[in-house]
Amino acid sequence: MKLFLSRLVLGLWVGLLASCSTPASDTPPSTVRIRWDRDPENLDPLVVSNKSAYEVSTLTYCSLLSGSEADADFVPWLAEDFPTVERTADSLLLVSYRLRPEARWDNGTPILARDVAFTLKVMNCPGLPIEMDQAMFGFIQDIRLDSTDARRFTLVCSGPSPDHIRESGDFSIFPEYVLDPRGELRTVQLADLRRMPAPAAATAFAGRYQALELAKHPERLPGCGPYKVTTWQNGRYLTMARKPHWWADTLPAPPPALQAFPDQLIYQIIPDAATATLALRRGEIDLYALMPAAEFTRLQQSAADREKLRFYTTNSYEFLAASFDVRQPVLRDARTRRALSALFNIPALIAGTQQGNATPSVGLISPRLKAYYNDSLSIPAFSPAAAADLLRQAGWQRQPDGTWQRPAAAGGPPQKLQLGLSYRAGEAAFETAALQFQAAARALGIGVDLRPTEQSVLSGQLHKGETDLSIRTFTGNPFSFDFTPLLHTRGIGAGNTTGFSEPASDQLIEQIAAANEPARKALLLRRFQRLLYQERPFTVLYFLRYRVAAAQRLGTVPVTGLKPGYEAAHIRPLAPKS
Amino acid sequence: MVRAVLRRTLRLLLAAWLTLSALFLVSRASTDPTAFLQATFSNNTRLGGQTEQAALTQRLLGRYRLDRPLFYASWGTATGWRWHGFHNQYHQWATGLLRGELGRSYRQDETVTELLTRALRYTLPLTLLAAVGSGALAFWLALGFSYRPRLRRLGLALLHGVQSLPLFLVAVGLLLLLANPDTLAWFPAFGLGLDSDAGAWWQYPGRTLYYLALPTVSLVIVSLPVLVVQLDGAIQRELAQPYVATARAKGASRRRTVRHHVLRNALLPVLALLPELLPGLVAGSVVVEFLFALPGMGRLLAEAAATQDYPVLLGAVGLVALVRLAAQALTDVLYQFIDPRIRLL
Repeated sequence: MKLFLSRLVLGLWVGLLASCSTPASDTPPSTVRIRWDRDPENLDPLVVSNKSAYEVSTLTYCSLLSGSEADADFVPWLAEDFPTVERTADSLLLVSYRLRPEARWDNGTPILARDVAFTLKVMNCPGLPIEMDQAMFGFIQDIRLDSTDARRFTLVCSGPSPDHIRESGDFSIFPEYVLDPRGELRTVQLADLRRMPAPAAATAFAGRYQALELAKHPERLPGCGPYKVTTWQNGRYLTMARKPHWWADTLPAPPPALQAFPDQLIYQIIPDAATATLALRRGEIDLYALMPAAEFTRLQQSAADREKLRFYTTNSYEFLAASFDVRQPVLRDARTRRALSALFNIPALIAGTQQGNATPSVGLISPRLKAYYNDSLSIPAFSPAAAADLLRQAGWQRQPDGTWQRPAAAGGPPQKLQLGLSYRAGEAAFETAALQFQAAARALGIGVDLRPTEQSVLSGQLHKGETDLSIRTFTGNPFSFDFTPLLHTRGIGAGNTTGFSEPASDQLIEQIAAANEPARKALLLRRFQRLLYQERPFTVLYFLRYRVAAAQRLGTVPVTGLKPGYEAAHIRPLAPKS
Repeated sequence: MVRAVLRRTLRLLLAAWLTLSALFLVSRASTDPTAFLQATFSNNTRLGGQTEQAALTQRLLGRYRLDRPLFYASWGTATGWRWHGFHNQYHQWATGLLRGELGRSYRQDETVTELLTRALRYTLPLTLLAAVGSGALAFWLALGFSYRPRLRRLGLALLHGVQSLPLFLVAVGLLLLLANPDTLAWFPAFGLGLDSDAGAWWQYPGRTLYYLALPTVSLVIVSLPVLVVQLDGAIQRELAQPYVATARAKGASRRRTVRHHVLRNALLPVLALLPELLPGLVAGSVVVEFLFALPGMGRLLAEAAATQDYPVLLGAVGLVALVRLAAQALTDVLYQFIDPRIRLL
């Protein structure tokens, strides 16, 4: 019996060991495996809340226009051409589009203007999660369908901003045949959806839409993009398959926005950077974007990894800045802000935190946008002596104990130059910049209290004006130059956390937002950079460079300065060597 | 006996209700209800003016029913006590809880119950494997130490050394040692593989074991020293008792004495570890799940905390608290089972 039992245990053990082997990873050559650091969480196209979900959305759905980094502008995607625009006497914009005649849904029916009208109604349907869409596209007041051409329509937009023209084409188009096969919303007008009570047809539609549970079943709403979601294991991976008969394949010479090469995309969710690096080196993933500087440099220096991997860096539109709250008494004077800016040693910071892989800038326009970047200004230099001079000019006096004081304006107690420096806790680059600044400020007799803070608490403090100086990142893009949320008086209490408010600056921001001519826009933007350089509501430390490491078999990976840092649909894996 | 069990169950339910209510009220009262919206706003450059953002905030708070008062009554220095009736967040949450609903996640638009169930599917195999592994190993080592006193000193010194290592270091060390192309690439670096590569059904247990090997071993290594030291201490105390000398005098071998006489008595102090161990089984391990890319309870809790997803946070913390209460009750029962002289009920 004992012998039988021991043999049984041995047999089970051997069987277990045999099944422990990983299946042969025969990744098809046209499959690309990409690392994500977080799950998309919610794939309802009305709720795109993080960059993973945004990537799925852009591969699944098409909008009328698409942002093109190469063109530094929006380009036609589902639209046949850039829209024509007419301005009416009552400050309305009439933006007219025509859809591509080749555009088809997965069931072969053409994509028509009534699909766009349907999408706008979904985006305004009470009972659905439409709050963000209403905030972003609420300026589209109505849609007028062309009675003679089923593909032509006009969007009636409020406000004269040229950005509204581009933004009017930047929402995903949904298939009416899937969500509303009987066309029950066709009789409902867009304006009716914005009134209470909601029309009965809209309430019934909202119920049907919610029942689809698109947040976790994206496959139930096929879009007109090149890919469809095939598997989604929350928190583990998501796979997408290219449609074998995508409508854009019939175009004789499809533009880049309508090209898609890999047959399958597998997104592996690996939150930890070190694990993701190991997975890349082991060949368990093919592409790792937005790689930390230290890991990237280490791989670049390894001969074995250089054989297996290719490395890319590209300038992004995301910058790290030291942001002043100009409402604080000690920071009201621009000279004080300039003096404190001179205490950041930017080259040392770039070397220390980014392994030298970042680009300093004079202001909030990326140096890669050469037409708009003000290259006549000089990069702020690290100079405690210049900082001391500027402080004296601002009325600060050095005390015998080395600190700085300034008499108060209304005869109150003198002001002491002491600051709190807030930043998101756990961010190594922010912490290094804070420590560097603290050391330089202390040497000059300025007390700096470091305040690493949890992200949402910090956001709340910034909005309430409870910080002095903060280190944070700002993200821009090459398409839109409307700085109203960031620096206009109207943005105070919302996106303008510096509290910066100057009539001249407000005027320039409005002129830039209204400028349509590139030459005029360039002139205004250069002037705006000079103004900010003088006023210094924040000082730009550096623009980040996005780092991408990819397997050799992917060939040349198209990288971009916009997140996620690559264009998955445009990767063309190399044919395997026979 | 029945009355005693009923009384104990009622006390357990009351304690659970009070714990969950306190968690709900403290977490909501001490935080800004708009905090979880801030990240959305800071990532969106299209939301221009203050009025626009304020209106959006109000609409989103309405969607999540956070625009209601927190409790039935509130106190304000200017207004004094104010009665809000049943139209409040606590009432809505409590009535939902009575129906077995824990609410919906702000981020994922799924019920908290679904999210917890899914996370437990990944956490329980990992933590149970680790618990069984470390428990079995602890028994084996503690018994071995009692048979071979010379090994005991060396083994305990080694275990005290291991105890000083943080879990993160152990897990990274294993990853770099056993899943690294530069050293030994024996195990996968992350996750549980693709379901499409799963193979035949009979391969599933082996495949899961293969993927969970490094996370499990990490947990076993860090939990083993406490168990061994505790059990070994208890065995050593029992070995000094007169009944051991009697058993040996009657001719029982040291091994037989330990197994048949000492072990049962030595288990009593180890039972005190149960209320610590069982909540850990459902709470998962943030470090291990984060490092090995496993979407279990630890990661769910950490992500919910980082994004202020309070329904998920409350559901997960509440579950852990409930298991802790249940573990305490179970420990009491086990005490009586092992030593019938103990009367707790």
